[in-house]
Amino acid sequence: MLKNYFKIAFRNLWRHRVFSFINIMGLTVGMTACLLIFLYVRFELSYDTFHPKADRIYRMVTDLKTPSETIHPSGPAWAVGPHLQFDLPEVEAFTRVNYDNLLVRKGDIKFNETGTIWADSAFFSIFNFPLLKGDVRTALVQPFSIVLSETAAKKYFGKQDPMGQTLLVTGEGKPALVTGVMKDMPENTLIKSDVVMSITTITQKFWKGLDDEWGSYGALTYVLLKPGTYAQTLQKKLPAFLEKWNGKEMRSSQMFPTLLLEPLKDVYLKSTRDDSKGNMMNVYVFSIIALFILVIACINFINLTTARASERAKEVGIRKVAGAVRSQLARQFIGESVIICLIAFLLTLGFSSLLLSSFNQLAGKIISTGIFSNISLLFLLLGIALIIGLLAGIYPAFILSAFKPIMVLKGRFATGAKGSILRKSLVITQFAISTALIIGTIIVYSQMKFMRSRDLGFNKDQVLVVETNGDNKRETLQKLVANLPNVKSTTLSGSVPGGGHQGAYSQVENAKGDLQIANLDLYFVDFDYIPLYDIKMAAGRPFDRTYKTDSNNAMILNEAAVKILGYSSPAQAIGRRFKQWGHEGQIIGVIKDFNYHSLQSPIKPLTMRMEWDRFRLLSVKVNPTNVQTTITAIEKLFRTTIPNRPFSYYFMDEFFDRQYRSEERFGRLFLNFAALAIFISCLGLLGLASYSTMQRTREIGIRKVMGASVSNIINLLSKEFLKLVIISFFIAAPVAWYFMNKWLLDFAYRTSISWWIFAAAGTLAVLIALLTISLQAFKAAIANPVKSLRTE
Amino acid sequence: MIKIRDLEKIYRTEEVETVALNKISIDVKEGEFVAIMGPSGCGKSTLLNILGLLDDPDNGSFLFNNIEVANFNERKRADLRKHNIGFVFQSFNLIDELTVFENVELPLIYTGVKSGDRKKRVEEVLDKMQIMHRRNHYPQQLSGGQQQRVAVARAVVNNPKLILADEPTGNLDSSNGNEVMTLLTDLNEQGTTIIMVTHSEHDARYSHRIIRMLDGQTVLENIMV
Repeated sequence: MLKNYFKIAFRNLWRHRVFSFINIMGLTVGMTACLLIFLYVRFELSYDTFHPKADRIYRMVTDLKTPSETIHPSGPAWAVGPHLQFDLPEVEAFTRVNYDNLLVRKGDIKFNETGTIWADSAFFSIFNFPLLKGDVRTALVQPFSIVLSETAAKKYFGKQDPMGQTLLVTGEGKPALVTGVMKDMPENTLIKSDVVMSITTITQKFWKGLDDEWGSYGALTYVLLKPGTYAQTLQKKLPAFLEKWNGKEMRSSQMFPTLLLEPLKDVYLKSTRDDSKGNMMNVYVFSIIALFILVIACINFINLTTARASERAKEVGIRKVAGAVRSQLARQFIGESVIICLIAFLLTLGFSSLLLSSFNQLAGKIISTGIFSNISLLFLLLGIALIIGLLAGIYPAFILSAFKPIMVLKGRFATGAKGSILRKSLVITQFAISTALIIGTIIVYSQMKFMRSRDLGFNKDQVLVVETNGDNKRETLQKLVANLPNVKSTTLSGSVPGGGHQGAYSQVENAKGDLQIANLDLYFVDFDYIPLYDIKMAAGRPFDRTYKTDSNNAMILNEAAVKILGYSSPAQAIGRRFKQWGHEGQIIGVIKDFNYHSLQSPIKPLTMRMEWDRFRLLSVKVNPTNVQTTITAIEKLFRTTIPNRPFSYYFMDEFFDRQYRSEERFGRLFLNFAALAIFISCLGLLGLASYSTMQRTREIGIRKVMGASVSNIINLLSKEFLKLVIISFFIAAPVAWYFMNKWLLDFAYRTSISWWIFAAAGTLAVLIALLTISLQAFKAAIANPVKSLRTE
Repeated sequence: MIKIRDLEKIYRTEEVETVALNKISIDVKEGEFVAIMGPSGCGKSTLLNILGLLDDPDNGSFLFNNIEVANFNERKRADLRKHNIGFVFQSFNLIDELTVFENVELPLIYTGVKSGDRKKRVEEVLDKMQIMHRRNHYPQQLSGGQQQRVAVARAVVNNPKLILADEPTGNLDSSNGNEVMTLLTDLNEQGTTIIMVTHSEHDARYSHRIIRMLDGQTVLENIMV
């Protein structure tokens, strides 16, 4: 019997090739999109879940309450980690993970290892980053111990054994001993790095006493809890712990930290801290999109199958007469849809494999190296395909198997009004989803455009930034570069917009005349920074070479800082006192607010000061002509002036825009999947339209004989479907508005959702639908009526 | 074999109530060849459908081999049908996607006959219907007469006790029609009971008895000599 079913199924598929193609193609495209999204979501959810002890690992973060605000430094104080074990028996081990750029050299091979980790000795026992060589327990104990990834080891040592060899690190070229080689860290960890150095290098050599430093924040601390310990138990003890070690200092500095534990598995997607790179919202959005696409594909299937039910009716009748009962027929039809799904599944595997590398590119990371690398995943997908087949097949099977044989065999069969209402609502659902996705895409893109084109309050054009890593020859380099023909001006600084910066414990005189304590963002800049970046003054003056005190005792605030200090106008802040990191003096100027972070976040209070030994970046304003020649000239000067460091530079505008990379990726993914959704919906519409046209061939013939023109006919056939598309628009618009408004709330500076977006999306949906339908309608309309009347 | 008493069938739509069978009573003995005649809409096809257990009556009694089947549910009816009744239709009703062989095989599949036996029986019956050489063709590739022979083959492959034929020659020219009637007569002579609905007096003459119907009732019975 099964053989008979298969035979019928395949012959049916072949006989109705166009419908089969639409069905299989729709399902394949839908399933491919789903599979790729599934891989993406699975990857996003897999971050740091591969550590066997992951359930016991927590990241410790801190909130810091100052009299001015509550801030969220990237990590707690440096002293927290080392002191945990004294008082808190729940803690089995801890490691701080501090990211830094490290200059690493071996002979002529030199790299600026961005994202080098400084870590405590328990690093490799807490996390599952296996060492291929070296001892997990001792690799990071001694100062100047360095552990390299396989890739890094190859980079510096080629085929030689790196163990026991030395590398020169930092600008001074201190020797560091290679004590381990680790397997390359996987892509799905937030801790990713190629170089791990013992943190004792800092705490015992560079900055002795840092282990007891309660006022220096930013030491990301991970703790491993003892088995059977609850995080809440530890969490409750943390205030007392801080009070015991840090209470006095907290009160005198008026900086009150709280320590919070984040489960390691949640850090990537759910952490409220800036440095967590994932976004749960995206995971939700794409999961929903995947589901939508699948629903659309299934709807096609159901619609086309039920629409064509009358063609199968005769077969149902004959089979029933020959002795088949309803359940047997239902099984047959479900079996057919399962076969279609399995064909689509096989095609999906092929398509996904082909598309995976471009999808990786689109997603900006290697979410999967191959569809076939994971057998259990394949079985899962196969299961899903079968379920889709089952779900999509159940309704048509139910309808088809219910036909009464005497009715259908006598040809007294009409597709019921019920079925057509269902098909219409399903088409509306499809187009509502598609239209909502079009609206979403337009909004995402207009927000992107808004962010790129918005006046940021500074000029990022034609500025080249050279990384000097604070080398002590940087001023020499600056002077030489300034003399190059196509260089307009230069400036040295610690930070540039869009990059990292310090946050400093500061005391600044407020409107009442008190020294208000606040943790303020801090830019170290030289005299030429404000003019080079074209930052506007709101009051006072920029740093000026003619004032000797400017180098040490002058501070510039932005308008946001002026506001939290309680001044009603920037001018009032001029001449007021400040104390910051051992420097004190007067406010000499107030700059207008500029966006030094991406437009997701509001402009924060910022201070600017000059401290020559904090400068590390050389910004160069260049002539737009012959930029490449200028770069080559700068590189040449760099190589002769600072030979020990690798030359690296970036363009300010690209550097700033890289902050929008994840939004851009989001937008691109959104666009692609929206296009897919529309494509699948149109496939379905095409199928339905061609079917409905086929059914009305006779009617069209009669109408033409009666004098209907081609356009009358097209109009007749298109109207029915266009109505549905228009209804779907009115469902999609408010829903899309609601969700996209929510999405936009994530941005401190955002575009408004204007009416034209809806108009454009609606028009687009209607046009696409019209094009799809009218192809069929036109074919029917130009047909010779004599022929169409003969179809009876 | 068949004994129906006061059988009623009424079709209702929202506005109209049509009485298709009006308290009709008929007996058919085993081995009989009965023709049912009457104008369009007189209820003969409805009667045939009820006799074939494709439809159920609203009222009355229907004894099939002395078993009351009027109240059987679909599964029971299907079961009885597939073992005892074969159908021949005016429009052949072959499945276009199946070959001649596969069409004839269909009833055997649903009665659960093993594949080897199926092949044997299908070949036997195709041979008998002289259509063996067309076994791998599809219905569209056959002439009307050939198609109806396939349909008859399908109807008899299960060795049913009863064959119901609904205007079996209606779509055929006279020579093909005569061939089919001869086939039916042969089957009847071998013991199969046949009930045939027809418009053709010529075809009706092949039967033992003609039941004439009008407005859902029998009006006349002619015994053929």
